[in-house]
Amino acid sequence: MKEINDLNLPEDLKYTKDHEWAKNSDGVITIGINDYAQDQLGEIVFVELPEVGDTFEKGDEFGSVESVKAVSEIYMPVAGEIVEINEALEDAPELVNESCYDNGWLIKVKIDDTSEFEALLDKGAYLDMLKG
Amino acid sequence: MARSLKTTPLYRWHKSANANMADFGGFDMPLWYETGVKNEHLGVLKSAGIFDTSHMACITVKGKDSFELLNYCFTRDISRLGAGRCIYGAFLDMNGHCIDDAIIYKFDDIFFMICVNAGMGAAIAKHLDSNKIKGSGVNIEDLSGTTAKMDIQGINSAQILARLIKNPDMVLKQMPYFSFKGNFDKSLPGDSGSGESGSNKSESDKSGSKKLNVTLKDGTPILLSRSGYTGEFGFEIFIRSEAVVKLWRDTLKAGEEFGITACGLAARDSLRTGACLPLSHQDIGNWKFINHPWDFALAFNKGKTGFTKKFIGSDALLSHDCDPFTYPFVGDSLRKITPGKNSQVIDSKGNIVGKVLTCVTDMGITWHNDKIISINSQNIPEGLKIKGLSCGFVMVDKKFDFSAINDNNCSLTLKDKKRAIKVNIVKDIRPDRTARKNFEF
Repeated sequence: MKEINDLNLPEDLKYTKDHEWAKNSDGVITIGINDYAQDQLGEIVFVELPEVGDTFEKGDEFGSVESVKAVSEIYMPVAGEIVEINEALEDAPELVNESCYDNGWLIKVKIDDTSEFEALLDKGAYLDMLKG
Repeated sequence: MARSLKTTPLYRWHKSANANMADFGGFDMPLWYETGVKNEHLGVLKSAGIFDTSHMACITVKGKDSFELLNYCFTRDISRLGAGRCIYGAFLDMNGHCIDDAIIYKFDDIFFMICVNAGMGAAIAKHLDSNKIKGSGVNIEDLSGTTAKMDIQGINSAQILARLIKNPDMVLKQMPYFSFKGNFDKSLPGDSGSGESGSNKSESDKSGSKKLNVTLKDGTPILLSRSGYTGEFGFEIFIRSEAVVKLWRDTLKAGEEFGITACGLAARDSLRTGACLPLSHQDIGNWKFINHPWDFALAFNKGKTGFTKKFIGSDALLSHDCDPFTYPFVGDSLRKITPGKNSQVIDSKGNIVGKVLTCVTDMGITWHNDKIISINSQNIPEGLKIKGLSCGFVMVDKKFDFSAINDNNCSLTLKDKKRAIKVNIVKDIRPDRTARKNFEF
């Protein structure tokens, strides 16, 4: 498994304490799990995602990521409506391991309140949390 | 934590290969390598994989009364076991509860070797010792710590092995399932006592497989067994601890062109579950060793009304109490739940009837028209995607009628704290396994 210093954590993303990442493009937030989460989970074999049109509160469970080791719930870092899901993951869940920030994204969410996004952790704060 | 765990001679290799390590039976063992479990599992089904199983323990039982002791302690009847053959079974206590499962290797009438699970060498040696008749001619020795073991499994195993051993044509000729040749230790019988001339002698020795000396190209003696725990064609290799790292590296090199994969314990777990084999202390354990899919591991008579011999635990097994039943299951998809004491098995009427012992994903199978298809099945329908299915064993308090399989009667819901999955009780899990395959070399 990776050492903390070996983790790939792009500067331009926001992070959560549940090891997700989020990126804002004009009020639509793309969400995925980060390098730490995919490394810890091991090989991902199944990704359960919500339907387009579902709405969630911040902190709600919106799906799960199943690896050979365990099933992990994934939680909404912000409140909003699902506008797109990554359908490629149905046939190729391994994309989450191979490319967690790019082809392995999970959902896109339209948000009402951008302050919830702004309040997420930046890379430095996330790393501080990991190091405890 | 890691400091208190034992390691195998291959520990440094595992670490250098960035294996994900975990405690298994008190050993720090690889769960998977960077290749990932799915590749490792499929690699064994398609070609070949190697497993470090040096955490397993070996015991030798020597002397004129060895047979009597073993046949009294083991669940299989070994009275007709030939020299050069091995047999799978279990050691039970007086209550019929399983202490451990094992393979017994017969060198000759007064010399046997037993392979048991990690950390169980001392316990089984003690169990045997406490059951021998005082003054009887039996010498029990726990070889744990001096013996290493690696398994090569998958259809290309023999071809790869042929590049590693002397006289492969001789050695691999006539090696049926559950037979073995050679030995790895001068204290074991066979003709290793003849020392350096061993391999020459083996060429001229036509008297039988049991006397054949099996050595690697560099002369290192091995015990080669046509067995394994994946359900696939392959071999288990016993070797002195100091020689196993070189053999491991040489095997990876020799197997390169076959795409050989080093495999961790997670792939071993999913392969053995797909092969419908139990994991000791999880699927079999401190409860009666009966009413399970492993009747073949008991010395039943033809009508299954009793046993062909008396053995420790046999009376308890035959006294039918309210014993639980263990069944294999296969899920509707590859989604699984966490087995163990927080799991529940719910029948079609909504009653909680038991718990889940093992739940893993066999990546090489899928459902098609109510039948399970494997990536090694013939005539796989075009366009059928084989994504894998969850599978394992449940322990339930009611008997299911096997003739009703595929009826609703045999569909169950398995639950853990987080999710529920639909599964069916089945007679067998992964079809078209290759373990018993005849091979010509």
